[in-house]
Amino acid sequence: MLSIYTTLNPGVERLTGKGINIRFKELQSDIGFIKDLELSIGKLSEERWSEPQGPTPFPSIIALRNWDRQLLKRYPPFYLPFCDLCCLCTYGKCDLTGTKRGACGITIGAQQSRMVLLATCIGAATHVSHAHELVECAIRKYGAGFPLDPGGLAVEVEAPVIRLVCGIKPEKLGDLEGVLEYLESQVTCLLSSVHTGQEGDNLDLESKVLHAGMIDQVGMEVADIAQISAFGYPKADPDAPLVDLGMATVDTTKPVILIIGHNVPPAISIVDYLAAHRLTDEVTVTGICCTAIDVTRYTANAKIIGPISWQLRYIRSGIPDVIVVDEQCIRTDALYEAEKIHAPFIATSEKNCMGLPNRTQDPADAIVRDLVSGKMPGVLILDPAKVGEVTVRVAREVAPERRKVGSLLSTKEIIELARNCTQCKQCRRACPNDLHIPESMKAATKGNTTMASDMYEVCVGCGRCEQACPQNIPIHTIIISAASRTMGEEKFRCRTGRGAIQDVEIRKVGGPLVLGEIPGVVAFVGCANYPKGGKEVAEMCVEFAKRRYIVCTSGCSAISIGMYRDEEGKTPYEQYPGSFDAGGIVNVGSCVANAHIAGAAIKIASIFARRNLRGNYEEIADYVYNRVGAVGVAWGAMSQKAAAIASGFWRLGIPVVVGPHGTKYRRMLLGRADRDEDWYVHDRRTGNEVYVGPVPEHLFFSAETKEEAMVMIAKLCMRPNDTGKGRAIKLTHYIDLHKRLLGTIPDDIYRYVRTMTDVPITEKEEITRQLHAHDWVENTIPDPTLLLWQIKKQEQ
Amino acid sequence: MFDDIPVEVGLVHAGERIRKNDMYVEMGGPEIKEKFELVKVRSLDVVQDDAITVIGPDISDMEPGKKYPLGILIEIAGAQLEEDIEGVIERRIHEYANYLEGFMHLNQRYDIWVRLSRKAYNKGFTTLAYFGRVLMRLLKNELPIIERMQITFFTDPEKIPAVYAEARHAYEARDARARGLTDGDVDLFYGCALCQSFAPSHVCVITPQRYANCGAISWFDGRAAARIDPKGPIFPIEKGDCLDTVRGEYTGINESAKKRSLGQVSRVYLYSAFTYPHTSCGCFEGIAFYIPEVEGFGIVMRGYRNVTVNGLPFSTMADSTAGGRQVDGFHGISLEYMRSPKFIAADGGYERIVWMPADLKEQLREFIPGDLIEKIATEKDVTTISDLVTFLTKASHPVIARWKPEEAGTVKDALGASPVFSAGEFPFQAGGFKIILKNARIYADKVTIVPIKPKRPGRGE
Repeated sequence: MLSIYTTLNPGVERLTGKGINIRFKELQSDIGFIKDLELSIGKLSEERWSEPQGPTPFPSIIALRNWDRQLLKRYPPFYLPFCDLCCLCTYGKCDLTGTKRGACGITIGAQQSRMVLLATCIGAATHVSHAHELVECAIRKYGAGFPLDPGGLAVEVEAPVIRLVCGIKPEKLGDLEGVLEYLESQVTCLLSSVHTGQEGDNLDLESKVLHAGMIDQVGMEVADIAQISAFGYPKADPDAPLVDLGMATVDTTKPVILIIGHNVPPAISIVDYLAAHRLTDEVTVTGICCTAIDVTRYTANAKIIGPISWQLRYIRSGIPDVIVVDEQCIRTDALYEAEKIHAPFIATSEKNCMGLPNRTQDPADAIVRDLVSGKMPGVLILDPAKVGEVTVRVAREVAPERRKVGSLLSTKEIIELARNCTQCKQCRRACPNDLHIPESMKAATKGNTTMASDMYEVCVGCGRCEQACPQNIPIHTIIISAASRTMGEEKFRCRTGRGAIQDVEIRKVGGPLVLGEIPGVVAFVGCANYPKGGKEVAEMCVEFAKRRYIVCTSGCSAISIGMYRDEEGKTPYEQYPGSFDAGGIVNVGSCVANAHIAGAAIKIASIFARRNLRGNYEEIADYVYNRVGAVGVAWGAMSQKAAAIASGFWRLGIPVVVGPHGTKYRRMLLGRADRDEDWYVHDRRTGNEVYVGPVPEHLFFSAETKEEAMVMIAKLCMRPNDTGKGRAIKLTHYIDLHKRLLGTIPDDIYRYVRTMTDVPITEKEEITRQLHAHDWVENTIPDPTLLLWQIKKQEQ
Repeated sequence: MFDDIPVEVGLVHAGERIRKNDMYVEMGGPEIKEKFELVKVRSLDVVQDDAITVIGPDISDMEPGKKYPLGILIEIAGAQLEEDIEGVIERRIHEYANYLEGFMHLNQRYDIWVRLSRKAYNKGFTTLAYFGRVLMRLLKNELPIIERMQITFFTDPEKIPAVYAEARHAYEARDARARGLTDGDVDLFYGCALCQSFAPSHVCVITPQRYANCGAISWFDGRAAARIDPKGPIFPIEKGDCLDTVRGEYTGINESAKKRSLGQVSRVYLYSAFTYPHTSCGCFEGIAFYIPEVEGFGIVMRGYRNVTVNGLPFSTMADSTAGGRQVDGFHGISLEYMRSPKFIAADGGYERIVWMPADLKEQLREFIPGDLIEKIATEKDVTTISDLVTFLTKASHPVIARWKPEEAGTVKDALGASPVFSAGEFPFQAGGFKIILKNARIYADKVTIVPIKPKRPGRGE
């Protein structure tokens, strides 16, 4: 018996082409006899998508628990407690060292996983809420019926993550609202499980971490496809424009606006206001962090100053005349810093009011007057359009008065201030990177500021040194002042965010990926917020592009990569194309554009194997995990969002490498190469259990050095389905990087050789020796899966 | 393995470019007329194993910054070697030459272009013998069926013309043989399971007249690969009996397909896009797509960025084509297959092609029968199906012979006029009311029917 599930909208009078009209002259029914009734059905079921629904549309927080367990069995959490105590409830603090349990009964392992879950929930909530605001803003402007179009003709699978997780095919902005409702319910549910006396099993907590990561990934996709569609960003365009990057690209003779954060509508309204008043050439719009990337996706006239760690140095340089902040990763002392350089300050997000009076309802004239006169150092304006007008007017009025006065010091002033240093070394203790600040102060007293200026490159700009100094020496200002010449040379180019990966591009690399000519996909994401982090990310990125991997990037990493030049003076974006191809450097966009990198991996399953994506998470994650040689790298990531982003990749089976500070994420997910029993898969064709070696060896790995990271990246690109030639090429890079960077031939090659065709011919003798020494036997290359039901499906 | 070579040898150097300023000498290249590389299979007794000879000036005798002719003659012998393999090995020269640090090799055959960097020269790369040794070791290592190998380099402008002429002759003979080879001439076809690592139910069949869909593997390549690595992903398929010469159905292919696809594909027509077409993975170079309104095929290649004449872009149609399925009328193909006389021969070949991008038409000009060239529309001629109908009619394209008289020139209304639902009595509930429609007929653009209890958020299991 079929019935039609439908929503009747009797109020709809206008009939669109998609609507359905039922008309009849007479209707005899239980409720009476009706004449000349016309029924308009505005919407008949929600989509026109023939793909069959998979097993887990809109999965609950335990729907994918079995898949998570499969992963966690191979990669059990390896705990690195950041803190041995729990102080979440008033029973505490509880000592959890050794095998001790807390007052609620929790173990230290579960407590670490619980903290990770808390962090990933914060991350997911942030992206989901960000997405919600963008969708609302876009709907207000263009209506719920506005079509989603992230890639024009070149993209058929427009929202791979949403299709996969939610089982729907979003076509209009309004379709995203139902997705957001689901995401919000999940974050609430996940967060509640962190409550005292709730979930206490470490693996269940870890499974929820993975769920939070997946929710986060959907949230990011919602945000980015909404903003690409609504704001007309580059649509999956490999030739997205190159834009200015760096402090030295700013024309300081003009009024300068600085925007910090992630949520772009206020920034866009500033750009629109400038355009509407023909002021685009009169006022410079600059940005830090993801809003900077997104505003350059909107207009290539805007300039990116730098990643997250450039906030203090750029504000103190005095260049910005007005500072506008939206949300996420903004220094909470930004207002305080702005006051010091007399730059009016405008907060624009409900989530980040900074204690400022809400002037949203006031006339623009009044707000401008109060900011220009200095009556108010800052205001809160929650209407993006008003932000646009006020910001531009204030910038133009204050700029001539301010004359870009900042807090930079002359050498003489540096020497004077350094003389106050008592060598108490509190600054060095406070520095997260143990920089040699006391020594540099000593040198400065003698007129040598080189040590101070050398710290510029390794300083992450946190300012903790100044807080620690009992003499109130403005240490960070000294560092940046000493390095003012370096700052003055920060003139680079960055390819702005291109958005999604085209289906056609994926098809094109299919052959080379299958034949092994492209050894893998490496994604540099998160903030390179680590000493030399930016440079190291850039170097790693160039090394892998040179080796003809596909390199993707987003967010602050994408900015850092642009702040690097080769011998010819070219930035990586000028040297390498922006296409998703061997040797391409693909900047997808801001943090929320990360979803496109996951989306590309998902699309491979849809495009090559024609696997159904719809509500079919487990099968697709199994496919990606066993076949797609992708690795994520978050070299200096620090935030809860980064934790959530990484978790989203893990659930899809994509390993993530982090820098040494990454141990502060409280646990790694490490495989045990020495345990052969861990590395069996089912062969989908035969149902046999086949040993495939430790591929990929880890799911979450913290590398001590850039060198170690690079070797690990190459190693983690191997997958059980690699063809012989593909494995040989992957091994070549692993061995070559190991030799070059660590000085030795790796001693575990034998674990990765299945048949002799896997052996790179240039290394044949050496490897053959190793194989003999380990009693190596030839093995088969299976059609790999971790899922038993995948075998049954084949036998039918 | 390469301790005696003064520069590094490895895949990591493969992408290296040597600019003019960094170059020590150049050999071959656009300004030198006589240059070549050639592999010849000889009998065991005439090949002196490991011999490397340079006829003419060696690198140390060359003047820095100058250009010299270059001929590379590799002679091999082995019980299992056949002439067919020569071309396959010859193409390895390019790959392996570029493994050398500071050494750049471009193109193939009579187009080669080699540069040595100053850095490599300064490291001691002073003789072509190093290049020879590396080629020899890598080739022998990869292809143990080569029992003996000798390499001769020609750089003497006096001596090269004679060997150059011989090389040109060898290429021509080889091409003539390849072009002349038909599916009927051979006993073995080859299957390629490389794409199965991503598309598990797809099996490519490679015959002399049907290139692999990816455009990367010819029958000769398949033959060489299967011989070199018998356990590898490329395997021979016994042709078996020919069941249908027109459509290209062979018992051997059917059996192999059944086995490899685990029963999903049991019959394959090599030269047809209908009924049992060859499956497609994801990396086909182009699509032949059926246009029912005109009963002909359009062709679109991967790089074509606009919508085609049927209103769909490549990406959308590719979605219908891919995944190792047999889909009527959406056929994944390689460029090379379009140069084959068997190209969808069972469906009419080029007489059935009605539309293709202009660039492609130019590329295929010499393979499309002359009288059809102007009859096949491109995006410059038409952009809609109805324009296409007019175009084909005006051009008297052979496909119009297939149109039934009453249908000629009319495009069928896709929407039709029949109700999607009609019933004597149709009760339903809405808004708290139960409504019964009598003798109702419902018309709809599209109707989706789903179970009455829809899955809701949070009920995933």
